Amino acid sequence: MAKCNISEAHAIDYVYGELDPSKMDDYKVHLMTCNTCTRRVNSYKRVLQLVDDAEGVYAHNLSMPKSLQTKLYQRIAAEKTVKPTIHSNLAAQVSNLLSLIYQQKATVFSLFIVAVIGITFLVTDPFQYVSTYKENVTDSAHLKIQEYRHQEIQRNMEDVLRNQHLRNSNKWDRVSQLNRVKDQAHGTDWANVAHQHLKSVHSEL
Amino acid sequence: MDKLIADEILVKQFQTGSQRAFDELMKRYERKIFGYLLRSVRNYEDAEELTLEVFFKAYRALSSWEPKAKFSTWLYTIASNLSIDYHRSKARHPVYVLEDEEVLETRLVANDLSSNPEKHVEDMERGRIIREAVDELSSKQKEVFMLTRYEGLPIREVAETLGMAEGTVKIHLHRAMKKLQTLLRPLMENNEI
Repeated sequence: MAKCNISEAHAIDYVYGELDPSKMDDYKVHLMTCNTCTRRVNSYKRVLQLVDDAEGVYAHNLSMPKSLQTKLYQRIAAEKTVKPTIHSNLAAQVSNLLSLIYQQKATVFSLFIVAVIGITFLVTDPFQYVSTYKENVTDSAHLKIQEYRHQEIQRNMEDVLRNQHLRNSNKWDRVSQLNRVKDQAHGTDWANVAHQHLKSVHSEL
Repeated sequence: MDKLIADEILVKQFQTGSQRAFDELMKRYERKIFGYLLRSVRNYEDAEELTLEVFFKAYRALSSWEPKAKFSTWLYTIASNLSIDYHRSKARHPVYVLEDEEVLETRLVANDLSSNPEKHVEDMERGRIIREAVDELSSKQKEVFMLTRYEGLPIREVAETLGMAEGTVKIHLHRAMKKLQTLLRPLMENNEI
């Protein structure tokens, strides 16, 4: 027997009446010659027949519940008499909102993505090139400058003090040297040191 | 009321204050919805309660309903969602009812028992086996199968009702048919129970 290449899904669609109309005639012709597909179709027809027999009992011989409409209106009337509270209103609003979000999933998701991108642009500049290497280099350069400045102030202060002891220099010269050091050392501890020396020199004058 | 009036026109009439329009809609669909829910939950009282819930929800929501889909599709969507909730709740809090199926059978209008009681019992037993096979399907397979076979909805409307793609509905339907074929094979081979 020749092997059939037609999918089993065709048989199900055919039995269900869901086969594409453009394929229907070809399939009917195919069924005349293909035992495999004919067996499949008959088997699925039998399945539906069995289930129809069993489930049909529900549809045809079923006694409907009595006074369904009356019960419905009783329930509607009962609900209308219940005054909505703040909590029930709030719950209803939240429920409506969640339902709206659920129904419009794609829209909400797109809006969320757009919002995230927008906030990212507002808060940061995502295209800015950030080089940690550069920052490190800059930081260390500033530290070096500070270090050299302290060293220079220290040297100048030492010169002033050395001159004082070795050459017993003029006190007004010292005052002017100390003032220069004080100006140079502005914002550092050396400024205080220079200030103290100035005070002592002034007291000697 | 004229049966030829389309559901959507009745909805419009209800939205403008006609209570009779809703009564007519309920009359048209209560049996179908009840049958659908009964097949789904297999319990008469629960199916009745759920049917009531479907129309209660429909009554409340109908004032703002817009005809994006057919009214019947919308109604089946409510019923399907309630059925899914019911099965979830049952899975979380299982209630074991003794011989629920038998209780259900007693509610069916009696056939002519006097003519052939043995055959009637046989039919009942065969029906029970087949319904058990249907209940073996996954919830989605069963929903798709029931909606297409017994509510007469085309694949497109089933897809709308269940919020699935048409291709997905077909896949569920094919799987349901194959599973039923496997489960019912002994019955088909013996042609007897």
